[in-house]
Amino acid sequence: MAEVKLTNVKKIYDHNVVAVHDFNLTIRDQEFVVFVGPSGCGKSTTLRMIAGLEDISEGTLEIDGEVVNDLQPKDRDIAMVFQNYALYPHMTVFDNIAFSLRLKKTPEDEVYERVTRAAEILGITEYLMRKPRALSGGQRQRVAIGRAIVRDPKVFLMDEPLSNLDAKLRNQMRAEIILLRQKMNTTFVYVTHDQTEAMTLGDRIVIMQNGYIEQVGTPEEVFDRPRNLFVAGFIGSPQMNFFQAALERDGDGYAVSLHGHRVRLEGDRAELLKKHGAAPAQIVLGVRPEHLTICDGSDPDAIDGEIRVNEMMGSELHLHVRCGDDKNIILRVPTIELSQEKRESLKTGAHVRFTFSSKVAQIFDPKTENSLLWD
Amino acid sequence: MSEKNYTGASMKRHMGLQASRRIGNTAAYIVLTLISIIWLIPFVCILLQSFRVESTWQVGYVIPQQWGLDNYRNLWNTDFPKWYMNTLVMALVTAVLQTVIVLCMSYTLSRFRFKGRTFLMRFMLILGMFPGMLTMIILYRVLKDLGMTQANSVPGLILVYIASSGMGYYVSKGFFDTIPKSLDEAARIDGATRFQVLKKIILPLSKPIVIYTVLTAFMGPWGDYVFARYISFGTSAGMNVAVGMYNWLNKDQIASYYTMFCAGGVLVALPVTLLFLWLQKYYVEGVTGGAVKG
Amino acid sequence: MKRYSDLEYLKLSKGKRIGYRLASFFASIPTALKNGLLAVWHFLQNLGAGIGREISDLVTTFREGDVPTRVSYVIMGFGNLCRGQILRGLLFLLFEAVFIFYMVIAGGYWIQMLPSLGLQGPTKELDPILDVYVTTYHDNSFKILLYGVLTIFFILAFIYTWRLNIKQNRIAMKILKSGKKLKSGKDDLRSLVDDQFHKTLLALPLTGIIIFTVLPIVFMILVAFTNYDGTHDGYNNNLFSWVGLQNFNTMLSWKGSGGQSYAATFGEILSWTLIWAFFATFTNYFLGMLVAMLINKKGIRLKKMWRTILVVTIAIPQFISLLYVSKMFAQNGILNLFLLNMGWIDKALPFWEDPTWARVTVILINIWIGIPYLMLITTGILMNIPADLYESSRIDGANAWQQYTKITLPYMLFVTGPYLLTSFTSNMNNFNVIYLLTGGAPTNPAASSAAGTVGYTDLLITWLFKITMGAESQYYLASVVGILVFVVVAVISLVVYGAMPSIKNEEDFQ
Repeated sequence: MAEVKLTNVKKIYDHNVVAVHDFNLTIRDQEFVVFVGPSGCGKSTTLRMIAGLEDISEGTLEIDGEVVNDLQPKDRDIAMVFQNYALYPHMTVFDNIAFSLRLKKTPEDEVYERVTRAAEILGITEYLMRKPRALSGGQRQRVAIGRAIVRDPKVFLMDEPLSNLDAKLRNQMRAEIILLRQKMNTTFVYVTHDQTEAMTLGDRIVIMQNGYIEQVGTPEEVFDRPRNLFVAGFIGSPQMNFFQAALERDGDGYAVSLHGHRVRLEGDRAELLKKHGAAPAQIVLGVRPEHLTICDGSDPDAIDGEIRVNEMMGSELHLHVRCGDDKNIILRVPTIELSQEKRESLKTGAHVRFTFSSKVAQIFDPKTENSLLWD
Repeated sequence: MSEKNYTGASMKRHMGLQASRRIGNTAAYIVLTLISIIWLIPFVCILLQSFRVESTWQVGYVIPQQWGLDNYRNLWNTDFPKWYMNTLVMALVTAVLQTVIVLCMSYTLSRFRFKGRTFLMRFMLILGMFPGMLTMIILYRVLKDLGMTQANSVPGLILVYIASSGMGYYVSKGFFDTIPKSLDEAARIDGATRFQVLKKIILPLSKPIVIYTVLTAFMGPWGDYVFARYISFGTSAGMNVAVGMYNWLNKDQIASYYTMFCAGGVLVALPVTLLFLWLQKYYVEGVTGGAVKG
Repeated sequence: MKRYSDLEYLKLSKGKRIGYRLASFFASIPTALKNGLLAVWHFLQNLGAGIGREISDLVTTFREGDVPTRVSYVIMGFGNLCRGQILRGLLFLLFEAVFIFYMVIAGGYWIQMLPSLGLQGPTKELDPILDVYVTTYHDNSFKILLYGVLTIFFILAFIYTWRLNIKQNRIAMKILKSGKKLKSGKDDLRSLVDDQFHKTLLALPLTGIIIFTVLPIVFMILVAFTNYDGTHDGYNNNLFSWVGLQNFNTMLSWKGSGGQSYAATFGEILSWTLIWAFFATFTNYFLGMLVAMLINKKGIRLKKMWRTILVVTIAIPQFISLLYVSKMFAQNGILNLFLLNMGWIDKALPFWEDPTWARVTVILINIWIGIPYLMLITTGILMNIPADLYESSRIDGANAWQQYTKITLPYMLFVTGPYLLTSFTSNMNNFNVIYLLTGGAPTNPAASSAAGTVGYTDLLITWLFKITMGAESQYYLASVVGILVFVVVAVISLVVYGAMPSIKNEEDFQ
């Protein structure tokens, strides 16, 4: 139940190593914000600064309107779930969850009440008398969450809480976090390196790299309108394809040409470019694998490529294709649309012709790596 | 493969594993038995000779011709009980205080990142390169001025034992380093002060290292010769067992005190050894962890 | 020396590779030493720069400071008191008062006397009434040196506190300017169990170390530049005084006065100390590892019993086992008597009488002492070696010996590298084993003209002990030996530490 505001926050370690540069973000009350990025991008450091586990080198951090830079973690009214759970090994599950309440000298009746309620929400009532080492990974994770929700904190911090779980449990816990979030009226800050978690959980996603924020936006925004090459490549799986291409004028509109083919840009893409007055130039064209479609050999606008790897994923086929200098272009082909005959023709070494819709193309400046569709 | 295909070399290859392991194990048992004998013989000798009555000299046989408790009885007529008490008191007090100091130091160095931390650790490393004995020259005179030497050497020696014990923080710091830091962080977020973190989280998890530290601190005074020799400075009433009994084996005393030395040795070794055997597990853990951490 | 690239190196023959590696190790020694000295130099540079920064900060704080800040330059804690931080202010004020009081009452005298270490020693005067000589005591060199050093420590502490007091004013001004509140005395006390908890925890251990180690070591380093000994004890008989580098000259000069020179004696003892440390460390290490591997061998039963038998011997205080074993090997000890009785020898074996016998015997007995300990340490590490390393090497076709030399040994050396180093240096200073076993005997007649009686098994540390315990108590000489021990240990540590793989490639075996 609080707004978290970071203004020009910086983290500088010894020997002038800067882990976080000028971080500016306002997290609204009850919002679920996800920090995502590769390891070492500063996301965990930022979260730990919010928690008070790291000093803030410069800038201010406000929680609920109060500057908390110099407050100890215990005085910030936050809760945190750690990657390795950090359960106290010598305490039972009950004592683990009750720890913070007892430190605040809460009456035992109320402790009992609140711990059992939290345990019920998370379905761990039957383990209350066990020690953490007698629990499975998923159960430990629940206890860690229980320890956090029992306090009813202003801000709920989660540092890669799912990364120690196997794939199946991770999906399950992810769904539970979404449910949990609906039950709690709290601000969430969630750190992960997994873009799927970020997309499914976040109201807004903060994508970071090398200590800088690359883009902040809703999942739709960062997926549809990535600000730069890094964001475009990081969000979405398999990764977005990048082609070396040229932007050209086409009447009063624009076209891109690649591998000897020329595609006219339509819809908002053309309008945005026009609005910004883009000049013809070498560009990087980005198209997501699912937006590349196989077509017949007769299509004159189609691009030709050689299949190097053919991955059968069940519901879809991932084709890794080489088109001239663009060595690893991935096509994502739903198997349901393929005839048996067609499927067999897509063997390693065979050639395939494909095209893409210009409505979903991304255009980047190869030098600045920024999107030309953004201001 | 049929029987007749076995050549000499392949025979050897086939019988190899089991047979050679059996030969190897037999050899290993023989060596281990020999080792055990060599390691235990001196202690068996001490024990047996402490019961020897017929002579107090060194003799060329191990099993006494005449058994008895004379040597133990005679200990009462010497300063031995006094030395024993001195050592026991020092061991007990040192065990408590040294543990507190070592744990304070190692916990701090493991958990806090404060200005001057690396400097402090390097500084102590360099300090440790000076022979500790050197400091005794001045400490003796200072403690003498304070009246804590010679006959009254117990408090003085305790001070000497514990005062610098903070420098022996390596082993327990290594242990604390293995407790995940995120436990501290979780507790601090849960609302604990640093002191509460230590009291409620770290200490309950540190039983092995606490026991190890207590045990080594307790054993220290029993084996110390140098410091006790300096501080007691020839005054029998202030000696510990090591300094006192050392004199029994002087050229001019050994003839009459040799078997008593054995008896005293048994009395000294017994409680320490029993305690040690009881807590062996923790000792092994501490020693192993300490060596790996360097 | 020529440096090879990786590919060139791989082309070399096996012998050449070893030669190359040895050569590069020795070639790295000067660099390691240079780096060590450079580190010291950088430290001094930083220190200088730091002091410069502090001084300029002092000036700006004064220039920009308000009245309470400026007054704080003279009256410590004034700023704190004016701003409502009563507790801090009072503590500063109290400290200043105590300091001034101490300097006036005593400190001034000690500092003043430090350059001379006392002007007048004890004097004897004839008491005309009783007709006996009465000694009157005057200055006390020992106390002057001790309290002089203490007073210098105190002055440094005062400067630090004074600086802290001014820094606090600056910080307080900044905080007040930004509209925040200052910490109250209650906050300060509370922070001692929370964010400043480390200060609380360190207070006791550090006080002990400063008083009982740092101060004595500084004192003893200074003693090396005086003539403090039994006949100049500074109070009862004669004052002692500064003699400059004279003691170092004595110790390191090859000119002997009636017998062997100190330098030759020192050289002899040092080389035996190094030989001893080498054998004591490595015999224990390899044999201990061997015993551990024997006990851990697959199919050996009663592992716990074998281990316990050895471990018991750690528990028994060393003075008992060492003294007893020492007597076992004596001329009329149980071993010789037994062998004589059996008629296997007709003359007692000179375990402690012949220099070579004695040296070998101490090393052997040290093995007896050390193996259980090493067995424990290596057992733990041996069990940590990932089993798949052995499995994969067996599939690659390695036999037991190859497994040992290619997997076990490199792993062990890697993990225990730092331990081996400390074990080497502590063996150099292994007083107990040598002193309790031989007391340094047999006596080395050539070397014994030097202070103390020097024997063939004496280490530097036992020699040091003998010097202080000897009739003349040449403390100044003991100090010189102590300083030289420090130098040797420090140089060895620096060189080995720099060349150690565990430091260089931390991740290799993880």
